[in-house]
Amino acid sequence: MNLKDKVLEIMRKTFEMDEVSTDASQKNCENWDSLHHLMLASELEDAFDIDLEPEEIAEMTDFSKVVAMLESKM
Amino acid sequence: MTTFVFRNQTVEALWGYNAVTYSGYDDISQVPATADRYIWCYQVPVNPDSNQLAMEIASYRDKLDLVLDGVEASKPFIILSLVNLFPLRFTGNDTAVSEAIADFNRHAVELSRQRPNVKWVDFSDFTSRYDAESLINWKYYLMSQSLLNPKLTHDFQAWWQRVEGEMAMQRKKCLVLDLDNTLWGGVLGEDGVDGIQLGGDYPGKAYSYWQSALLQLSRSGVILAVCSKNNEADVIEAWEKNPHMVLKREHFSALRINWQDKATNITDIAAELNIGLDSMVFLDDNPAERELVKQLLPQVEVPDFPTKPYLLMPFFKLLVEKYFRIYSVTKEDLTKTEQYRSNALRRAEQSRFADLDQFLYSLDMQLDVIPADEHNLPRIAQMTQKTNQFNLTTRRYTEADVQQRLDQGWHVYCVRVSDRFGDSGITGAMFLQPVSGEEVNIDTLLLSCRILGKGIEDAFVKTVLNLLRLDGYRKLMADYIPTAKNGQTADFYDRLGMVCVNEDKDGTKHYVMPLSGVFEIKNCYNIRVL
Repeated sequence: MNLKDKVLEIMRKTFEMDEVSTDASQKNCENWDSLHHLMLASELEDAFDIDLEPEEIAEMTDFSKVVAMLESKM
Repeated sequence: MTTFVFRNQTVEALWGYNAVTYSGYDDISQVPATADRYIWCYQVPVNPDSNQLAMEIASYRDKLDLVLDGVEASKPFIILSLVNLFPLRFTGNDTAVSEAIADFNRHAVELSRQRPNVKWVDFSDFTSRYDAESLINWKYYLMSQSLLNPKLTHDFQAWWQRVEGEMAMQRKKCLVLDLDNTLWGGVLGEDGVDGIQLGGDYPGKAYSYWQSALLQLSRSGVILAVCSKNNEADVIEAWEKNPHMVLKREHFSALRINWQDKATNITDIAAELNIGLDSMVFLDDNPAERELVKQLLPQVEVPDFPTKPYLLMPFFKLLVEKYFRIYSVTKEDLTKTEQYRSNALRRAEQSRFADLDQFLYSLDMQLDVIPADEHNLPRIAQMTQKTNQFNLTTRRYTEADVQQRLDQGWHVYCVRVSDRFGDSGITGAMFLQPVSGEEVNIDTLLLSCRILGKGIEDAFVKTVLNLLRLDGYRKLMADYIPTAKNGQTADFYDRLGMVCVNEDKDGTKHYVMPLSGVFEIKNCYNIRVL
């Protein structure tokens, strides 16, 4: 599975949604609230075995920024 | 079912948003009456000023009391104990915070004893599995006010599910044990009665501890059975003659000591004890035997067995937590081994009599039909949770559910059964829902399997129906809802003389019958209505 698919899968699970698109952002995705955002960060840290700093977590406001952040960490 | 959580930290990740709503942080101003149940989950905040923190914790106790006074007494209220996830002390003898926590926890336990709807959950049962560093993740705590490390969310959810099972009184009923290298070290047939490892120094000591632990487990209402490849005479000799033997013949409700395959033996034990295979756990040191049982009887739980005797005690703890712990035990649980054994004696007796009635008469049966009250309510709720085979509708109720129905004017009766072989305790229940002034519906009718075969179901139901007629009811309604396990009750209402007026696609049958005359009951029962 490539990185993007894996991130989408984690998002679906964390946000408890059947479908999450690559356009998803905190603004347009109802379940992506502040609490779920932290749950997402925690899940990503575990899945990719990385550490995200609070500033980095705050920057990941939409799907492409999440992917960019992960790519920069690996 | 909707849940309302009182909290002083972010705990949304633990229970999610599905049918769960949360108070504001340390906010008790709203106690929504529409919730079906409540959870109190406060955490000890981080505060370096221990006196201030102790006062803060003391205030939780008062808040909890205020909230409980505003909650309907029939609704479940679960209190998680306080655990200090970040103990910080400048002097070794500063106990202000730990005393305040202990005080809150004692109070919570006290509340759970005073109020039937309150249950107390030991949160340290979860937190003690982790070291201090992994309990709090400071990065997430400071970003989210969530003291418990989000990495432990999944673990917490698994633990909570088990807690819910304990509170619903779900547990496995029977532990089936191998003997050689399982209850003692060594092989009885080769090492002899005094040569097996049991008692004295290690490794015998490990098996003594293990047997003592299993004895306590059986005293909490778990039935023990033996399934072992040995000569039965050798085993009986070991039970009688080895002075270190803690578990003896009388502690086991069923024995299969022979050379037959273990899957067949376990199936036999289930039939003898009248319990389902899915309520059994099987322990054996031999991986091949375990595999056979796993393959042939997938309903039976077969945990791996420790390979070293010194690992038996931690294994025992896991076993209890995974399969056998319940929130509280009832009087019936405590005498279960005895009851299953006296059943075997009754069966032996039965073969001496020419006809069943003569046998029933000789049993000198006493049936007490008792309306539900605060003493028998936990047992009645427990029976609705556990009874599968003789259960006409299989509706599961908590104590609070039963109380709620009583408050709505339902009639709930239970039956206590004893005979000259022993007291079986409360072993049946019937819930009657008034539909109109003259009509009443049997919502639930169940009897524990271990008292079946003596016509007690018939006597119990007819006694209750006679009471209902005296109460002025003239029409009886009832449903039979089929499940995988209650096939033996499919024609119970037909035999009682009820008329099936309708059958749904799923097999549910609806019955009616006028309550016109007195139901005749065989005279082999001494029946008291209390």
